[in-house]
Amino acid sequence: MGVTPAEDSAVNQEDILQLIIQHARDVLPSLEGRELSPTDSLRELGANSMDRSEIVMMTLEAIDMDMPLAETIKASNIGELAQLLADRKAGLTA
Amino acid sequence: MRAVGIEAMNVYAGTACVDVEALAGHRGLDMTRFANLLMKEKTVALPYEDPITYGVNAARPLIDAMTPEEKDRIEVVITCTESAFDFGKSMSTYFHKLLGLNRNCRLFELKNACYSGIAGLQTAANFVLSSVSPGAKVLLIATDISRFMTEAGGEGLTDDWSFFEPSSGAGAVAAIVSDQPHVFRIDVGASGYYGYEVMDTCRPAPDKEAGDADLSLLSYLDCCEKAFMEYQSRVEGADLAKTFTYLAMHTPFGGMVKGAHRNIMRKVAKAKPADIEEDFQRRVSPSLHFNQRVGNTMGASTLMAIASTIEHGNFDEPRRIGCFSYGSGCCSEFFSGVVTREGQERVRAQGIGSQLGRRHTLKMDEYDELLATSHLVKFGTRNASLDPSFVATARGVHGRETLFLKEIKEFHREYEWV
Repeated sequence: MGVTPAEDSAVNQEDILQLIIQHARDVLPSLEGRELSPTDSLRELGANSMDRSEIVMMTLEAIDMDMPLAETIKASNIGELAQLLADRKAGLTA
Repeated sequence: MRAVGIEAMNVYAGTACVDVEALAGHRGLDMTRFANLLMKEKTVALPYEDPITYGVNAARPLIDAMTPEEKDRIEVVITCTESAFDFGKSMSTYFHKLLGLNRNCRLFELKNACYSGIAGLQTAANFVLSSVSPGAKVLLIATDISRFMTEAGGEGLTDDWSFFEPSSGAGAVAAIVSDQPHVFRIDVGASGYYGYEVMDTCRPAPDKEAGDADLSLLSYLDCCEKAFMEYQSRVEGADLAKTFTYLAMHTPFGGMVKGAHRNIMRKVAKAKPADIEEDFQRRVSPSLHFNQRVGNTMGASTLMAIASTIEHGNFDEPRRIGCFSYGSGCCSEFFSGVVTREGQERVRAQGIGSQLGRRHTLKMDEYDELLATSHLVKFGTRNASLDPSFVATARGVHGRETLFLKEIKEFHREYEWV
C-alpha cells in the first residue's frame, strides 16, 4: 500500500493521503471496513489527540521527512494534512 | 565542579481527591479508550485550600527537620506557579512568614506555565554555584492549583472542560536546593533548553484555563526531541537509551508521557515498538505513580515525577535520571541528575504515598457542590470567610497540623493551623 521513499523520492499528495489512511487504520481498528475520504477529520473518525499525533508521526517517518509537529495543527482534515505534508516535502526536496 | 542539587524534598497533595474515571463518567465523556490516558485520581482544591496552603504543607516538614542555624541559611525563597492570586505581591512573602524564615532573604515568584518548577530549580542551582554566599540554601516551592467553578446562569461548563477538568489537579513540591545534594545531584551544565512562542494552553483570564490541547501536545513532542538533541550536543557520549536508568517527564497525564517516550525512542534511539513498551515500563513508569494520583500539577509536575522516580526506582547503586520539563507558551528543558540510596531513603521518609492515600475521596455530589462554592475564593476576592464545616472530614485526614485558609481580609490572606 502506498509508495516508499526508495521507490519515489517525489512522494505526491495522493500517496501521502493513502499513507495517512493506512496509519489511521493501524491506530484506530474501529475504522475497519469504512471508506475514508479527504474531507474526513481524524477527530471525527474517533482519534484522540494522542492518536492524531501518532498518525502524523508515522506518516512523516514513512516519507522520511522531519518537520515540527505543531505546524500540522493547521490541517482540519486528512486531505489538508496530505496537502500540507506534500507541500513541505516538495519545498524541502526542491 | 562544586556539588549542587536537591538537599531535601517533599510533596503535598491536599486533603481531597476524586476518582477520575468516575468524574469522566459523570461528565458523559467517551470512556471507550479512557484507560490509555493513564489517569487514576486527581487532587481537588477545597475552598479553604490555596497555593499557599499546598506550599506550606509541603515545606513544613523540611523546615522542621533543620537546625536553627541551617534554617537561617535559607537566603532565597522562589515560588514557581501559574496560580498566584496577586499580580504584584509574590507568594514567597507568605511562605517566608508562615515558615518563620530569616529576613535577610530574597523573595520572588517565577512563571512560565508548567516549566516554572524547573526554571526555579535551575535558578536556585545557579545561585548556589555562583558562590556569592557560600553555604546559602534556597527554598524552592512549586505550587499550582486549578479551581473549576460554576456560576449562576451556567457559564463555566464550556467545551474546554472536557479536556482540562479530568486532568487538572492541584499540589506542591517543596525542595531545599544547596551545595549538599543528598537527594538529587544535578549534572551541572548538562542541560538542553528549547523554547519559542506558541499559543497552546494558557490562563488568559483569572480562574480560566484555555487553549488548544492538541497544539500543546504536538509542541510538547517537538520540544522533547529538540531539548534532548541539544542536551546530547552538550554532553559528550550522551545516549537516550543508555545514559539514564530512569526518565522523569512533565506529566499532564500519563498517556501523554507514554506518547512522548514512544516518539522520542523511535525517532532518536531508533527503537522497535516491543522494546519501547518494555523500556517505558522499566524506565518511565516509576515516575508516574504520584502524578497519576494527583493530576496535572503544572509547575510542580516535573519535580513530582522526579520525586516519584526516587521513591519507586531501584537506587541500590547511584543512578542517573533524565528529566524533561515543558511549559506552554513555550519553554522546555532536558537535564539530568544522580540519585543515591541515601536520597531514596530521605524521600521515602516523607511518607508521600501514604499521604496521598489518606485524602478524602469526594463523591460526585460533594464535588458538584464544591464547584458551586469555589467562586467564594476566586481571583480578586477582597473579603471572605471560609466555612470550616464544608467537607469537614477532609480537614483532619493527615492526623498532623495542616495549614488552611481561614479568611481573606482586604485582599490579605489569613491562615490557620488545624
